[in-house]
Amino acid sequence: MEYSERIQVFEKVRARYSVFLLSVLWKLAGDRELFTEAMQYALLGMWQHIEKLNGKKAGAYIYRIALTANSKAWRNRIGKDGELAKSRTNIDTDHGLLIIGQIHDKENKSEWVAMVRQAIAKLPFKQGRAVVMRYLEQQDYKTVAEKLCCTEAGARSHVSKAVATLKSRLTAFIRQE
Amino acid sequence: MNDKNIEEILKEVAAEDIPADVHKIAQQVSADFSRTLLQTKKQHIFWEHIIWEHIMRNPIAKLAVAAVVIIACLIGISFWRTSGSGIALADVLAKVEQVQACMYKMRMTTTVSMIPDMPAVEQQMEATVIISTEYGMKMIFEVSDPNGKKITTESYVLPESKQMILILPEMKKYTQMQLDDDLFAKTRRENNDPRYIIKQIMSSTYKELGRSKIDGLEVEGFEAADLPLFGGSGSKVTLWVDAENWLPVRMEMDLKGEHMQATGVIYGYQWDMAVQPEEFQPVIPSDFEPMATGMQMPKISEEGLIEGLRLFAELSGSYPKKLSMMELAQETMAFITNRDVLEKIVEKIPEFRGLDEDELDKLDGHEVMMKTMQVTKPLQSPGLFYMVLVQDKKEPAYYGETVTPADTDKVLLRWKISDNEYRVIFGDLRAETVTPEKLAELEAGLPK
Repeated sequence: MEYSERIQVFEKVRARYSVFLLSVLWKLAGDRELFTEAMQYALLGMWQHIEKLNGKKAGAYIYRIALTANSKAWRNRIGKDGELAKSRTNIDTDHGLLIIGQIHDKENKSEWVAMVRQAIAKLPFKQGRAVVMRYLEQQDYKTVAEKLCCTEAGARSHVSKAVATLKSRLTAFIRQE
Repeated sequence: MNDKNIEEILKEVAAEDIPADVHKIAQQVSADFSRTLLQTKKQHIFWEHIIWEHIMRNPIAKLAVAAVVIIACLIGISFWRTSGSGIALADVLAKVEQVQACMYKMRMTTTVSMIPDMPAVEQQMEATVIISTEYGMKMIFEVSDPNGKKITTESYVLPESKQMILILPEMKKYTQMQLDDDLFAKTRRENNDPRYIIKQIMSSTYKELGRSKIDGLEVEGFEAADLPLFGGSGSKVTLWVDAENWLPVRMEMDLKGEHMQATGVIYGYQWDMAVQPEEFQPVIPSDFEPMATGMQMPKISEEGLIEGLRLFAELSGSYPKKLSMMELAQETMAFITNRDVLEKIVEKIPEFRGLDEDELDKLDGHEVMMKTMQVTKPLQSPGLFYMVLVQDKKEPAYYGETVTPADTDKVLLRWKISDNEYRVIFGDLRAETVTPEKLAELEAGLPK
């Protein structure tokens, strides 16, 4: 593909997915700095894989690009082996289980939300994609199954595995504390 | 903590509105990116940062970047090679050749577009070079990385041990490269030596610029244009020499290649300065670690050529189309970043064999790069060997565009070894010495 043609295709693909990227990356990042970086990585990923995004499997690739971009942005912030971020405010770690059971405190809640986002960034791709489709895009299991090319039961399995992974990571964090 | 809590958080995240300023950020980032694509030669530092980040964080890209490092080293080596001699400027050369030791400074900006589909990357370099006929050569380079951070490299060429030693103080690393006799002689004589820069100008068509003044000093200028550097044409070098003592005082370079450009200046010459042997002895602190012990330069020989062509064909499925350094580098970069090729490279490294991308990611990036460099090192030899053939005027002809590994009896490369003999490398990479008549017969059968 010639460079000029590549740019044209890129602009078309970018326009097609701009709303998707804005919405998904913001929900995954929840922070302007992280979002900006994730968006930059996503555009770079789109440019590098433009042929794939212009093909039949574009729908699947855009999720891969978005989730990879988000992971990279998070990784830049917390490091490759970064544990879930220690609270920058004051999570009541002695009562972490209790607090997360009844999220009332606004400050604590936002900390937990940030930790969930951070944990999503470290999920394996299929689980991350399942979480994005089911919860962030609020798609029903039938649609999730179609997009993941699996049965509805399979889609439910991916989603529940993802939630279980998130739960175990957050629980481990609370115990560490 | 239970699943319901997690789901509750996820639903809250999903229900969040996107702030108006985030819409603007997204638009701005997209617009910046599009603009960057349209202005690939005027890179915003941010994109260099992103590309650098991308390269350094992606395990597959880490493997690919090793090849770029190799190529960059080669450019350094090949830069000032020369051949032939002219008749003008001879006084300047004669004067410079009497000098036992000298020092100069160099400042250069290079723009390299090495990775396909990636914007060009600009790099600033400053160097201080001391050369002694007796003690060797010491070069201190400071290169600014895309984040603006300076990386220092101390480089020593030691005549007694025929070694090149590189020290990276910021990384606390060093490496020793054993040079073979031929390469050592070339490196010592030609690499960054002003005498050979003058010869380079002398071997080209140059014009005298007449008198001028630099910092109040009366100088005389010589300009060589269209130098065949970096595989392109249009490069220009201007040398200013002291009108009194005929020693160089400044050199301006504007070098253009198809995929690389460099502009720079050599200044601050100190001629026939007093030097001490200690200045040329590298001091490696005890806490510095070797990058790769005994790492050797690529072979510049027929054996290295064949080894390199075999590896190239194994990885890419064909021979390189061209053997000039930059074209070979470009072609290598075009395929070496392919996932399947990098997987083949990984399989050649016993320690990495069978590891998936996540496992590779956990490895030390430097270790990955060094091991990859060792495996891919033979890819450099064909370009270097071909360059030597061209410069030694051995009439090389390369047919990589039409001859494939399946063309067992077709001439892939040939060069002259004497008036009555040519060396031929065939499509199956066997080598034979043939007469000019036999060569003509063989080449007549090549696809047009």
